[in-house]
Amino acid sequence: MPPAAKSKLGYTPPDGGWGWVVVFGAFISIGFSYAFPKSLTIYFKEIQEYFSVSYSEIAWLSSVMLASMYAGGPVSSVLVNRYGSRPVVMVGGILVSTGMILASFGKTIMHLYLCVGLIGGFGLAFNLQPSLTIIGTYFQIKRPLANGLAMTGSPVVLFTLAPLNQWLFDNFGWRGSFLILGGIVLHCCIAGALMRPVNKHAQPKPKAEPAGCNGEAAEKVASSEANAQSDKLLSKENEDDSQSQGCLETFIDLSLFKHRGFLIYLVGNVVLFFGFFAPVVFLAPYAKHQGIDEYSAAFLLSIFALTDMFIRPITGILGNTKWVRPRIQYFFSFAVFYNGVCHLVCPLLPGYSGKVVYAVFFGLAFGMLSALLFEVLMDLVGAHRFSSAVGLVTIIECGPVLLGPPLSGALVDIYGDYKYMYYACGVFMLVPGIYFFIMHYYNYKKLDEELKQDVAAELRTCEEAVQLKMIRDGKTKHETDG
Amino acid sequence: MSASWKQLSLQILLLLVSCRHINTKTPGPTAPPLIPIDQLPTDVRSVALNGESHTEKVELLNPVNLTLECTWTGNQDKLANITGLWRKDGEEVKNSNQTVPMENDQYNLKRVFSIVNEEDLGSYTCEFGSKAKIDFVLAAPQIGDVRDKPIVSYLGDFVVITCKMEETKPEPSTWYWYKANGTDKEQIIAAEEPLRYEIKNEERNTKLVVSSLVEADAGLYFCGAVYAISTSMSQVELKVISFYEPLKPFVAIVIAVIVLVAIILLYEKSQSKKNSTAAENGTTDQTNTLTQGETNGHGESSSMRQRKV
Repeated sequence: MPPAAKSKLGYTPPDGGWGWVVVFGAFISIGFSYAFPKSLTIYFKEIQEYFSVSYSEIAWLSSVMLASMYAGGPVSSVLVNRYGSRPVVMVGGILVSTGMILASFGKTIMHLYLCVGLIGGFGLAFNLQPSLTIIGTYFQIKRPLANGLAMTGSPVVLFTLAPLNQWLFDNFGWRGSFLILGGIVLHCCIAGALMRPVNKHAQPKPKAEPAGCNGEAAEKVASSEANAQSDKLLSKENEDDSQSQGCLETFIDLSLFKHRGFLIYLVGNVVLFFGFFAPVVFLAPYAKHQGIDEYSAAFLLSIFALTDMFIRPITGILGNTKWVRPRIQYFFSFAVFYNGVCHLVCPLLPGYSGKVVYAVFFGLAFGMLSALLFEVLMDLVGAHRFSSAVGLVTIIECGPVLLGPPLSGALVDIYGDYKYMYYACGVFMLVPGIYFFIMHYYNYKKLDEELKQDVAAELRTCEEAVQLKMIRDGKTKHETDG
Repeated sequence: MSASWKQLSLQILLLLVSCRHINTKTPGPTAPPLIPIDQLPTDVRSVALNGESHTEKVELLNPVNLTLECTWTGNQDKLANITGLWRKDGEEVKNSNQTVPMENDQYNLKRVFSIVNEEDLGSYTCEFGSKAKIDFVLAAPQIGDVRDKPIVSYLGDFVVITCKMEETKPEPSTWYWYKANGTDKEQIIAAEEPLRYEIKNEERNTKLVVSSLVEADAGLYFCGAVYAISTSMSQVELKVISFYEPLKPFVAIVIAVIVLVAIILLYEKSQSKKNSTAAENGTTDQTNTLTQGETNGHGESSSMRQRKV
């Protein structure tokens, strides 16, 4: 039984058809959002020499890009709520493209921070949010699968961009490469063009099956009531939207902060993001530290990326099965917990083969978590409020995402060894995993209680309607008789 | 020994000659300070071999009297005597052919070489008959971090070429930069015309900044790490291209994207026109998807309950 948050949709999502094309568009969009900042690191060494800056200054470029990508979340949500996904994604693609083109003429490192970091990051934010949102509008039943497939974009695009960037760099230097990348990133506009807004009005009235009510008459009344109710719901929501408590409410749904599921998700995520990215960033340096040569260390990352790539759609399929879907939050909790266990075990695995085993298991864990990350949020708050939810979540996650790798780096510097950092990351993921298990157990119980209350309420209205009809029929009969 | 004396006197002569014409265009550092052979520091390198061959790398910074010792224990025939021989760069060192007796189940060869300048560096081999040999490769610290792919830069822009000596190797006393001119190397002097070059030297690395690039600037550049014994070279290739080179693929991609987006949007427009004229077909399709959805669904009506969360 899926939680009923999606009851507010008011229409039935197609769950297929053009939806799969939209998934493909989202695949590209999400892929660029996540993989683009990571793939730019190939140019860092040359840019560092060109502008005569230190390593940390050039690493700031990645940070600025990531920060503006996460900070742009709420802006993106507001725009999506207003205009829909398609224009926002296309504008996002143009923004990143402009940023890269301007950067290719850059004369100072500050220029690069602004163009690549700020403008580029914002553009990527305009790609990420709408892609996730539109999947929620097109899919309901097959949504975990759609999400899993769309999130696979990240490793696949990274896999393609990395050698492409290397080739561009060898042939055109960093300036020419930035220019051409500005062109390549315009493919996000193509992805945006594919994101046709879903047809909400051509749906027939949903057939209602009121629980416990028997009899044709009762059904008819109930169904007409249901139609009236759903129409009322839609109009009520529109009223709610316009009668907001101030300007901000029309743009972004701050009442989410009173949503139990949303709060659980938010708190858990803030903690787990501290330990999320650092293990990936430090995998190759850790291997090199243990004496493994550079190529084998890079190969570890390829193994990680490959397992990541394959597990994401599989996770989507698993999430869709009838055993997992109703309790998908537990699946997510398991994924977080499993990540934590992987990191704790990593330093205990000796040698290169130990690292390979870790890379495989970590790839599985990372992919599982990524595929479910936004699906569970959709599951908790419903597709209608998802856009605002994801905007709020990303801006709050900004902090741990930015602080995580430098803090881990500091741990490495203090102890001179990577294993304490991995232990710390393991704890940072284990604790939220357990927290999620407990909180979602409680949440599911509460949701089931609320469901029972609602069903009871429906039963009452149903019976009242039947009684009303019987009285009316009795009256008319009486009148015709009399 | 006499060979090295001859070399030394030749060196002195050359030094006196070169002192007369200080030619800034000649590659190589100024000649090393002259120390008489017997006041050179000494060093010993020994290798014991059990098999057939071995190569030993010897890193040298300063002129030195180097003693090379070879010990071979691998002879199964257990001959009482074996011919020992020294070679430098493949050529037999004069008067080095000797008979080596077996002592304590091994053969020993030892010789002192005066390594004074770049020509003395190279490969020294001790041979035991034709059965075993040990190579000593004498060289100044080599620049490890060599960039094999060319650096690409643009006309009118500037480029920074760097050379670095690893932390594990000793620091050079200074760095020089050269540009390839045909088969020769021309040293780059920053203060000379044209004033487009800038050399920044730090102990372990060096940067050559070439500004206002022109096409003639393309080619091979060499950085030299100067040690008392010799200069280690490393080369980097510079390519200079105009901004039109990346512009061509960029424009091609942009045009492709615009065309694709136009096709997608036009297709959608034509589809929606078809849908609006055939509205009935549309609704029946929707009902079909709906029934499909319901059979897959979980039994609850999706729009009935009003959840207040």
